[in-house]
Amino acid sequence: MIASILASGLAVGAVYALIGITYNTMFATSRVMSFTAGQLGMLGGVLGSMFILKLGLPLVVGLVLTLVVCALIGVLTEIVAVRPVLKSLDQHLYVLTTLAVALLIQQFTAIQWGTEPQPFPRLLEAGSGLLDEKYWLPVVTCAVTIIGLEYLYRRTLVGHAFIAIAEDNFAARALGLPERNLRIASYALAGVIGGLAGFSGGQLLLAFFANGPLLNFYGFIPVALGGLGNNRGAVIGGVALGLFQQAANFYAGGIFASVAVFSLFIIVLLAAPQGLFGATASRRV
Amino acid sequence: MTITRRDLALGTAAICLAAPALAQTAEPIRFGWLAAMTGPSSAPAVGFDRGVRFAAEAINAAGGVRGRRLEVLTRDTQGDPTKAVNATQEMISQLRVHAIWGPTNSGESLATTAIMARANMPNIHPCVVDSLIDARRYPNAFRIAPSNTQWDDAVRNYCLQRVNARKVAIIGDTTGYGVSAVNACVASFQREGAEVAYKANIDATQPDMTPDMLRARTAGAEAIVIWSVSTGMIARMLNTRASMGWDVPFVGHPALSSGEIGTLVERPANWEKVYAIGYRSCAYNDAGQLPERMAGLVSRMRGKVNLADTLLWWVSCGVDAVELVAKAVEATNSTAKEAIIAHWNTLAPYRGYYGDFTFTATEHNGYPVADIVMVRANTARDGAFNLAPGYT
Amino acid sequence: MLRALPFLAILGVGLATPLSDNEYWALIVTRIAIYWVLISGLNLIVGYAGQLAIGYVALFALGAYTASVLAAGNATPEVPAFAALGIAGLAGAVFGVVVGLPALRLRTFYFAISTLGFATIVTQIALAWQPVTGGGIGVPGPALPAPFDTPWGLLYFCLGFAALCTWITANIANSRFGRALVAVRDADVAAEATGIDKARLLILVFILAGALAAIAGGLFASLQTYITPDAFTFELSLLFFISVLIGGRGSILGPLLGTIVLTLLPEVAAPLAAWSTFLYAALLLVIVLAVPGGIAALIDFRNRKPLPAGRVIASRPEAIQQLIAHTATPDTLSLRGITLAFGGVKAIDGLDLDVKPGQIHGLIGPNGSGKTTTLNVISGYYRAGAGTMTLGGRTLAPGRSTDRASHGIARTFQTPRLIGEASVLENVMIGATIEGRASFLEAMLRLPRHRRDEAVFRERALLALHAVGLDGVAEVRADRLQHSELRFMEIARALMLRPAFLLLDEPAAGLSHDEIDRLASLIRAVSDAGTAVLLVEHHADLIFAICDHVTVLNLGRILAAGSPAEIRSHKEVVSAYLGA
Repeated sequence: MIASILASGLAVGAVYALIGITYNTMFATSRVMSFTAGQLGMLGGVLGSMFILKLGLPLVVGLVLTLVVCALIGVLTEIVAVRPVLKSLDQHLYVLTTLAVALLIQQFTAIQWGTEPQPFPRLLEAGSGLLDEKYWLPVVTCAVTIIGLEYLYRRTLVGHAFIAIAEDNFAARALGLPERNLRIASYALAGVIGGLAGFSGGQLLLAFFANGPLLNFYGFIPVALGGLGNNRGAVIGGVALGLFQQAANFYAGGIFASVAVFSLFIIVLLAAPQGLFGATASRRV
Repeated sequence: MTITRRDLALGTAAICLAAPALAQTAEPIRFGWLAAMTGPSSAPAVGFDRGVRFAAEAINAAGGVRGRRLEVLTRDTQGDPTKAVNATQEMISQLRVHAIWGPTNSGESLATTAIMARANMPNIHPCVVDSLIDARRYPNAFRIAPSNTQWDDAVRNYCLQRVNARKVAIIGDTTGYGVSAVNACVASFQREGAEVAYKANIDATQPDMTPDMLRARTAGAEAIVIWSVSTGMIARMLNTRASMGWDVPFVGHPALSSGEIGTLVERPANWEKVYAIGYRSCAYNDAGQLPERMAGLVSRMRGKVNLADTLLWWVSCGVDAVELVAKAVEATNSTAKEAIIAHWNTLAPYRGYYGDFTFTATEHNGYPVADIVMVRANTARDGAFNLAPGYT
Repeated sequence: MLRALPFLAILGVGLATPLSDNEYWALIVTRIAIYWVLISGLNLIVGYAGQLAIGYVALFALGAYTASVLAAGNATPEVPAFAALGIAGLAGAVFGVVVGLPALRLRTFYFAISTLGFATIVTQIALAWQPVTGGGIGVPGPALPAPFDTPWGLLYFCLGFAALCTWITANIANSRFGRALVAVRDADVAAEATGIDKARLLILVFILAGALAAIAGGLFASLQTYITPDAFTFELSLLFFISVLIGGRGSILGPLLGTIVLTLLPEVAAPLAAWSTFLYAALLLVIVLAVPGGIAALIDFRNRKPLPAGRVIASRPEAIQQLIAHTATPDTLSLRGITLAFGGVKAIDGLDLDVKPGQIHGLIGPNGSGKTTTLNVISGYYRAGAGTMTLGGRTLAPGRSTDRASHGIARTFQTPRLIGEASVLENVMIGATIEGRASFLEAMLRLPRHRRDEAVFRERALLALHAVGLDGVAEVRADRLQHSELRFMEIARALMLRPAFLLLDEPAAGLSHDEIDRLASLIRAVSDAGTAVLLVEHHADLIFAICDHVTVLNLGRILAAGSPAEIRSHKEVVSAYLGA
């Protein structure tokens, strides 16, 4: 029982954490929380299933194509929904534009792909029972992503530039950093991370158009708990959420589990609006 | 008098114009069809729709009903009760249809039943919720599919009498239908003195079904009864059953036999020992043959209607719906609401394709209970299934 | 009266529906009226207060279930339909606050997501609580008694109630509460300085909008005759939300038209049913990017007329005395040992300052010397790490930005904090918000006290505009003004308070020579009327021309203090700052 909670809790927790990192990656360079984060996760599953099962492409090709499309969607989001409203960030128009883009993606998928969940291929044919690949693939992906991001942010020039922008947009621009290109790059990166989340969790979540709002919500909770822009907080928050949710599923059952998760979320947020691990504060005056 | 070519041409044109004008004097029969053609639970309506189109074309090709064309007016409700209410009122007041077939989902049907009753609109629908049929309150509404109770009886009888399960687990999704069906089912098993070892409503999007399956096994369930239309959830449960190495039978909702599940299970073997609600009219016997009347319909539909990705009962039920209206008009030579309803009240029985319906002034649940059977979920061929073990 | 015409026309069309003798239209018009009952309230939250409540279908569902369950007697003795609607309204008022709570503490996006969460939870609970809500089978909606038990009767009732909602929400919108909501949305910092308590204000609006949403839900249940959880879709929530945005923020007529359009759209475009959510989303994107003002901006003909070019700000300092004549002698504002650090950097380091009534106190210094920070500490935006602030012996609570107005402290900002979509007059009227005596309820019903408040505000705002020289543009949208005009508008807003203390943050920045001269005489007149002025400025000429006392800051410390003449000859000041 405990083993089962752990396996599935860690797996969905890792997917939630990856979506949380997707939010953070977009937020870092633009100060925008985008509703498309969950849709990228949904697309990771749907596109993976389409390329590998429907079109019969090999695993690697399917994965690369999925990530490329997700990266393009990320860039498109930046161009359509983020750039035009950056000037007036304090009016929060981005909530509306990214919501609109997210709904466009979701409805388009619903109509073109169908409203029934469809299968996601087994990727490595590895493991069975609680060691099945569907449980450990998201965890491994999440770990690899975090290590990759740490390397990117700490060791590479581009990563340093990302951090500079994230910390002080104006100063970074004054230093002559190509702020716009970096922002586009970060949206592409977010697309890749979101796509990875959906792809690695595809066997758990299936290729299903309605996964978008679900991932939006459950991927946002780690961000809110871990603190905006804090990737390590997102991972801790994601895993905690996954375990809590599966435990609640296990001990309380379906409906009460979602009510429990939501109530806890609201209570924690009202008590600690900056998250449990702190977030980047912004100046008002 | 010389007849010029021009006059001849004009004359011909006049005749050509006159012919349809003649036909138009006979007002078409307007058949309203409230279909959830798109949206999350659209599969049944898509199947019904194929039957409706096929039947309407067949009738019109044969010259219509007493010279009147049958015109199908479809509104896509998307399964949304709000849209269904709008569409129903539009059909009643704006399109002035003579009878309505549908809606096909229970939420929509619950919201539209009172509105149709207010307008005394002849209505046939296939929704399973028991309270929808009440010949006293809704004398205009007729059901040509089983009710929930009938489904429930069939599933329970199969579990208790043919699987010989003493303890069952009853599981549904968290939709309105899933919750109410599970509660009703639990109550009926308990009434019969059977033990419900485990009961749950699972969020259909929940990625892992292991907790519930483990609890069901721990509780000692010998059969799992499923009330859900969520194929994703069902497939996950089947996969979990396989990975647990458990061979408990699944019995329940027709969705268990949905083609989607075949694509979602990890191995074809995971779909064995799954018994879904089916119908004698749409079940192959041991010789692999359908009942005679249905076999005739299927052969006529061959090449015109795709049965591979839908269920035969949906299609044949759609055919029956159209023919029930057409035959009522033919018998009474009227499209008056009272006439159609009065005619339906005398059908005992009406020999349809999907079943032999019996309606009286006091009983509008027309489907014969004995025709509800269990079928092997993974044996679909042309939308029909092999009978489950235990039937002859 | 003229402004009511479009509303009356729409109501007239609605009332004429029976002429069609077609119950389908009765249904559609009733539906529009019911949706508008909800949207009129939501409009105050989304359109006026700018809180992005996406999941308002939660309260709609709550009201529908409360009314239906009570009327059906599932949990209680059967309650008459109208009483059930009333109780649903009360429940909506309570839960309106619960749903709104996150807005008081959390960022916008958090609030948006949490309202979505509420929407999911309400339907989940409706499903699970079967003995009361009927679970998936649902409950019949409350049947209204005669004469409202026919489609036409229900239509008239809903139209009447919708008209009432239009009236009360318009009353709120045109009251100090409505102006304060917009101020919270577009200029929250300035709103705090005028004493607007955002939390209190939002709670009042959440109560009203929650009650209206729940009553709308109850009426919806009546109209549908039967409700199940699947009636309360996210698409419906989107319809509510997008109606407001398509209509345009800060307008009543626009969202009403938006509601009509969005409810009718799926009916006339039936073949597009499958794409309806897609179309809503596309519409939302287009509106936000291309027509951010929505329908309201399209039909706002008054603000399309070009403004006269070459306008001159002809301020009339002589009117100031009449505007801010003080009854009591103001106190002295004293700062002692104020220290404030950001991270490890000390922005202010042990500052002493006395601002005396009837004096103009100049505060100068190079960039980063702590001038604006000092103003922000006084205004309560920052909480000093150490030190005290007193006002005639009474301590000024640190970090309480919303109580400054009640102490008679008004201010302007380095970049004017304007409410772009409101008229100049409304922008100015906000300055006197705390003087309003009428309660929210009185404003809602336009009771006499509210009308008196409004008359006083209006008269004083016109006088203030007259004094600063903007009386010609009182009715113009503020975002159409030039930068210099905005500076004078902010001063007029500050003067609305008839302040004992006026804090001016670089008021001369961006002004022409002439304008600076007028500004100078204006400030002088304010000070002559007995107000203490604290002036942060870079224009040394202005400082030396009008100040009675000057303090020079450098790196958060006082470099020098004294009369303008003393400062001008202060060696360190000259070398460090004046440069010349």
